[in-house]
Amino acid sequence: MSIAVLLILAVAAFLAGLGGSYLGVGGGIFLIPFMTLALSVNIKVAIATSLIGVIANSSGAASVYVRDHLTNLRLAMFLEVATTLGAIAGALVGLGVPDFYLYVVFGIVVLYAATTMARIRETAKERAYQAGEEAPLTKRLKLSSVYFDQEDQGVYRYRVERPVAGFGVSAAAGLFSGLLGVGGGFIKVPAMNVLMRVPMKAAVATSNFMIGVTAAASAFIYYSQGLVDPGLAAMVIIGVFSGTNLGTRLLAHAKSSNVRFVFALFLAVLGTAMVARLFLPGVPI
Amino acid sequence: MITARAGLRLVQQRVSNLRRAVVAEVEDINRLIYHVLRGGVVVSVAILLFGFVLVAFSGQPIPESGSIPPRALARPLFTFTPEGYLSLGVLVLIFTPVVRVFLSLVSFARERDRQYVLMTAIVFANLLVSLVLLA
Repeated sequence: MSIAVLLILAVAAFLAGLGGSYLGVGGGIFLIPFMTLALSVNIKVAIATSLIGVIANSSGAASVYVRDHLTNLRLAMFLEVATTLGAIAGALVGLGVPDFYLYVVFGIVVLYAATTMARIRETAKERAYQAGEEAPLTKRLKLSSVYFDQEDQGVYRYRVERPVAGFGVSAAAGLFSGLLGVGGGFIKVPAMNVLMRVPMKAAVATSNFMIGVTAAASAFIYYSQGLVDPGLAAMVIIGVFSGTNLGTRLLAHAKSSNVRFVFALFLAVLGTAMVARLFLPGVPI
Repeated sequence: MITARAGLRLVQQRVSNLRRAVVAEVEDINRLIYHVLRGGVVVSVAILLFGFVLVAFSGQPIPESGSIPPRALARPLFTFTPEGYLSLGVLVLIFTPVVRVFLSLVSFARERDRQYVLMTAIVFANLLVSLVLLA
């Protein structure tokens, strides 16, 4: 690796940290395609490096969200049971799977995430607490919570719905995380927001909190296989850390709908590129 | 009448003290998690930067290597080779969430919240399983 390539990687990691901390995703979804497509890094090394970046992102951004009481710690703990189990299974499967299938799965997953992100909307009216019964499991585990929104200086109470379904989807998110080296945030955020009715910002913060643990479970396995290149990983850590510092600060007060749309567009382009690569002749995979 | 008012004031004071204690407790856990997560990343970045300083002094390009397993890490650290410190920085980062989960376990145990102690223990066990695979 030349110095120039490493610096480019650090800049990419910075952008991944910036975007990831804002959307509650690990940023691996940007880093892996970038490393494999632009820097021609082997996909398994890219996955391992990305997992490290996801942990840096989670620790850097989630710490701030926890301090600002955006994170639902109980919900995170509950769902982490599912994601870590899924992640271990995913990492074990991922090491034995031919790279070709990883590209196919990755392309499909990215395109799915793009459409979900474009669809999510949230208005103040939807955020308001609505009457209704808590699910038995939600009540038992005291999952419902409140959060403080800096954008409009409001405190919002919310009820967590469909905890069992959310648990199942989180297991799938963990599986993808171990398999593809991403945080799985692009599955967890929609799952929490759309399925479990957690407000967007709380979902983003909680997802950001969880992805570090999920990624750690699979990062250990990749590290033990000697797939983590310390030089590449170091660049990614430093880049992502700087990105999250800026991301959490800049975007705390921002409106999410516009940026979300651009992100969805970006994901759609990436997913198409990953799938298209399969059908381009002469491109080594 | 005065005694009733004094009694009411006493109750109010008790309640506000209690509320302050609860808020402090929650604040405490949040703060602790904040410092652990933040501290882990900052220490990791510091070690990595030191690794890059060693790279600069060695005058050689950044080494391309696989990850060094923890048990083989002592020698490269004592001989101040860049790979050793870059690997150590990466390992510190990977271990940060593990420490965080352990602290959550302790804090739920102190609250005597059995369900969450159990759940956190499962998550911790899962991390240990993958850790065993690392060693």
